[in-house]
Amino acid sequence: MTAAVDAPGLPAVAKTGLFKRWPILRRLLRHKAFVIGAVLFGFILLVALFADWIAPIDPNRISIRNRFKPPDLTHWLGTDNLGRSQLSRVAYGARLSLAIGFAVVVLNAVFGVILGAAAGYFRRLDNILMRITDALMAFPAVLLAIGIAAALGPSSMTAAIALSAVYIPRTARIVRASVLVVREMEFVQAAIAMGASHLRILGKHVLPNCLAPLIVQLTFIFAYAVLSEAVLSFLGLGAAPPTPTWGNIIAEGRQYIREAAWITVIPGMALAATVLGLNLLGDGLRDVLDPRLKISQA
Amino acid sequence: MSHARKTWKFTLLAAVSAAAFGVTAASAQQFSCPRKGGTLVFAQEAKVNSLDQYTSSTISTRNVAMNMYEALMTRDENMNPIPELAEKVTASEDGMTYTFNLRRGVKFHNGKTMTTEDVVASFDRYKKVGIDRGILDVVDKWEAPDAHTFIIRMKVAQPTFLENFSSFSVPIVITPKENTDAPPMQMKPIGTGPFEFVEFVADSHVRIKRFDGYVPNPAYKDIDGFGGYKVACLDQVVFRIVTEPGARVAGLETGEFHGAEDVPAKSQAALKANPNIVLKPLQNFWVQIATPNLSFPPTDNLKVRQAIQAALDMEEIMEAATDGAYRLNIGFQYPGQAFYTEAGKETYNQKNIAKAKKLLQDGGYKGEKLILLTNKDYTNMYTAALVMSEQLKAIGMNVELLVMDWPASVQKQQNTTDGWNFFFTGYGTNTSLGGIAALRFHAPPFNTYKPKKEDGPDKEFVEHFNAIANGKTLDERKAAFAKAQARVLDQVLALPFGSLTKVQVVRSNVENFRPFRIPRMSNVWIKG
Amino acid sequence: MGRYVVARLIQSIPVLILVSVISFGIMKLVPGDPAVLIGGPTATPAELDNIRQNLGLDQPFHVQMGRFYAGLARGDLGRSLLLGKPVLEATIERIPVSLSIALYSMVLTLFLGISCGVIAALKRNSWADQAAMAFALIGVSLPNFWLGLMLIILFSVHLGWLPTGGYVPWQNDPVGWFRTATMPAVTLALLQVGLLARITRSTMLEVLRQDYIRTARAKGLPEFLVIAKHAFKNVMIPVITVIGVIFSVLLSGSVVVESVFSVPGIGSLLGSAVLRRDYPMIQGGLLFVATALLMLNLLVDVLYAYFDPRVRYDSRS
Repeated sequence: MTAAVDAPGLPAVAKTGLFKRWPILRRLLRHKAFVIGAVLFGFILLVALFADWIAPIDPNRISIRNRFKPPDLTHWLGTDNLGRSQLSRVAYGARLSLAIGFAVVVLNAVFGVILGAAAGYFRRLDNILMRITDALMAFPAVLLAIGIAAALGPSSMTAAIALSAVYIPRTARIVRASVLVVREMEFVQAAIAMGASHLRILGKHVLPNCLAPLIVQLTFIFAYAVLSEAVLSFLGLGAAPPTPTWGNIIAEGRQYIREAAWITVIPGMALAATVLGLNLLGDGLRDVLDPRLKISQA
Repeated sequence: MSHARKTWKFTLLAAVSAAAFGVTAASAQQFSCPRKGGTLVFAQEAKVNSLDQYTSSTISTRNVAMNMYEALMTRDENMNPIPELAEKVTASEDGMTYTFNLRRGVKFHNGKTMTTEDVVASFDRYKKVGIDRGILDVVDKWEAPDAHTFIIRMKVAQPTFLENFSSFSVPIVITPKENTDAPPMQMKPIGTGPFEFVEFVADSHVRIKRFDGYVPNPAYKDIDGFGGYKVACLDQVVFRIVTEPGARVAGLETGEFHGAEDVPAKSQAALKANPNIVLKPLQNFWVQIATPNLSFPPTDNLKVRQAIQAALDMEEIMEAATDGAYRLNIGFQYPGQAFYTEAGKETYNQKNIAKAKKLLQDGGYKGEKLILLTNKDYTNMYTAALVMSEQLKAIGMNVELLVMDWPASVQKQQNTTDGWNFFFTGYGTNTSLGGIAALRFHAPPFNTYKPKKEDGPDKEFVEHFNAIANGKTLDERKAAFAKAQARVLDQVLALPFGSLTKVQVVRSNVENFRPFRIPRMSNVWIKG
Repeated sequence: MGRYVVARLIQSIPVLILVSVISFGIMKLVPGDPAVLIGGPTATPAELDNIRQNLGLDQPFHVQMGRFYAGLARGDLGRSLLLGKPVLEATIERIPVSLSIALYSMVLTLFLGISCGVIAALKRNSWADQAAMAFALIGVSLPNFWLGLMLIILFSVHLGWLPTGGYVPWQNDPVGWFRTATMPAVTLALLQVGLLARITRSTMLEVLRQDYIRTARAKGLPEFLVIAKHAFKNVMIPVITVIGVIFSVLLSGSVVVESVFSVPGIGSLLGSAVLRRDYPMIQGGLLFVATALLMLNLLVDVLYAYFDPRVRYDSRS
């Protein structure tokens, strides 16, 4: 689940001068994977943003007469075991999945940066902080999330917190690795020599130069968070039902998978499309922002 | 004072229902297997925790363990108490002594012959760790004057003692003396039943095999409830834990499983049409129910509770919760049971929205939040809550669902009177055990409806409830039960929705499998 | 190197202590207790109290915690509340199950991942590259529990080729093992193939540009020899990393996959321990798994140094 980004031993090297925005954007738009990813993810994002318009009726509206209606012209994506509109539920599910994914990204950005920068910059904190991240990372990721979610009780907030606890140590490590590299660079050393304050050095010189690997990492974390949130709600530990999430729609539909497969298949596909989109975006960003790992345009 | 004795025959509860199932008395000959051999694979959903029948009361444990264990008394097909390892049970006139004459020559799986020494040790263990050890609170002591006579002496006479004593909820099963030192949850499953233990791989399966030294109960001709004349025709039985409902159905279809339990009702149409598969529905498996919290507004208000009761459409709730595997049912007993009564019928399934709105108005309901506490582990409880919330929104109530997992929801219900209004559960074992067990949750000391401290438990209900336990005759007890049920429904101390049908399914080559509260593997054979 | 290993081992002690403190903290917060699960829906509160007494759950939390650490000092991980057997025994029993599926899945991952990666690198920017990378990426993006359900529907329900789940130990019945282990192994592998394929591809591309490869080519060595001799050795480095990551995921993160396929492995053991509040099982099992993961990471780092002479651990810069 966690894998990918935090493969150790690949400290990403940031290059200065990367942030004259437009050339990057142009290169991104020429990157095929990025564009496909952007389209996929953009579509899901639109669905999430405009869920109230797209959803024909309240996603929780039960209609016993209309149970198990397969997809057709009146029920585009069919209805579930309680006759609720699958279109409404999947659309609102998109909103919740993305909201939780986004919350995890924000929490990761904030705490990952604070912890990573503190560890990388103030060497005295390094050992303590890294042991704590070691401990959190020594837990099997899914189990840690399950444990925290069970402890705090099912809600979307809980899911976001549980998943952040899983990913923040990984983000912090990436930021730390970059800070360690940047810290030693001449212009930073010069600023230190000139007596600039720590905060100023961190904010002005160090962090902007760690941004590239961070953005790449956060994109992938978005993808993992969306996937893992689905796992949590599949296990009944995500957002509290009846609020629709992709994970709990699949969980509720699994009983009927033989007779009403659409209940399970459609949210699974939506989930896969979102994650695929984010992964493609992440690949594109990595190729363009992080030349050390540049692959496809070689 | 004369201690005239009276021998208890099989029907302690009622002679009324004795003929309901004709299976047992029909054949003149004792059952013998038309065919022996084979391994039957049975898929069940619930994970087995432990096979220590003293210290687990889950269905999953009982499903397996009760094919291996037996008790002095148990329940027959109609849930009436019957002797099993006892040949004869005699109660003294004053109800202060019960004498059990053991069947001779009964063997344990370890080869030993059962004597009262083992019975005494088993009762000692039950008293120490048995989950339902409260049953024995009224017992002063037990003794064994000889190897085949076991006597229980009471502190106080309790007319319903044998009813409790023969309960299959956490049955007082008999195990060899040397096995009784085991700490809770750790006892080796050695019993006197027709099957003996082979292996248990947690989260995967339990394997049992025919016990060749088994001695069937000669007083019967065929299996009867948990007891009767039992024979193991199968060589082995494997209980497989299969949590995915779809996988259970698929396994049945492919023949990977010979039988399964808790098959999704939605799949039943397809299974019914399959000539290789036979559905064995077990009606009245449990009463789907919600219990209120009288200590938290707005359910502290009788008018609001009655409004909710008036609004509910039980058909819709049960249909959605069970996908059609249900029957409408009034109260806490099922038709056919001795204590069944329609008392309180007028409160059930009213679907009267106008009346509900009026009651809300009379009760001064001002849109306070109504919180339904339910869980996702039992889908039917979750769905019942969900549909109920929609029905209550229709009468203008502000309803919220609080969904937790099962352990967390139980803890909240038991330990707090704050932040919830209705708790969703199912009454299974207790309703099947008869009148007093069915209502025990509402009575002190449990009072599941959480009466306010200053009010105390509902006096009228408690009075009727005590009369069920202490009524001298069955008719007195039944009358008291009817009054107690009417009071519960009138005061809305519980909302019974209806009765759920449990569906057991077997392949058509599995012969003589009869639906019951556990999948009974005795007297079942696989056609060649 | 020896000193480095010892230092790492010492470092892991505070980490493991933290692990156990965190898991105690989580357990303290999780509402509900295992008595409710042993009792079932119709247990009365009195019966539940009896169960709690049986299990020692009526003791205050700090007593339970103290008892755990006292046992740990004697090398005793405690006893599962629900399984009625020692935690260590319960965990060790599951190892062959998870390990055999992990190995199977690893073989699939290595085969698919490396072949996709190598093909993609050699045929860069061709349709084969794109197809291989698309396959890899889609694999990463599929939710594994959903994929599991889909495989059951396809291979068990519709085609009837494989059993719906369960596990047959390979020592008892190799064919049975193969039939039950295939779907879980494939489900787990598909998630990992993408990771390996992408890393293999990028490393290969980088290696192929290096001077010594050009030299080798210039010397007129056949292409496959060039690749086999030089490129592969370098590819081993990221591959080891990935194997480490994948193994840790497989051994522990397969909670959901094991439960979908009813496989009695470590993932389902620990997952259901949390959901069923089997405190000693969570506590002891997590400590066991965390130790295993830390050792695995150490092993990966050591192998790293072995394959890549540039990596030196002894001097701390």
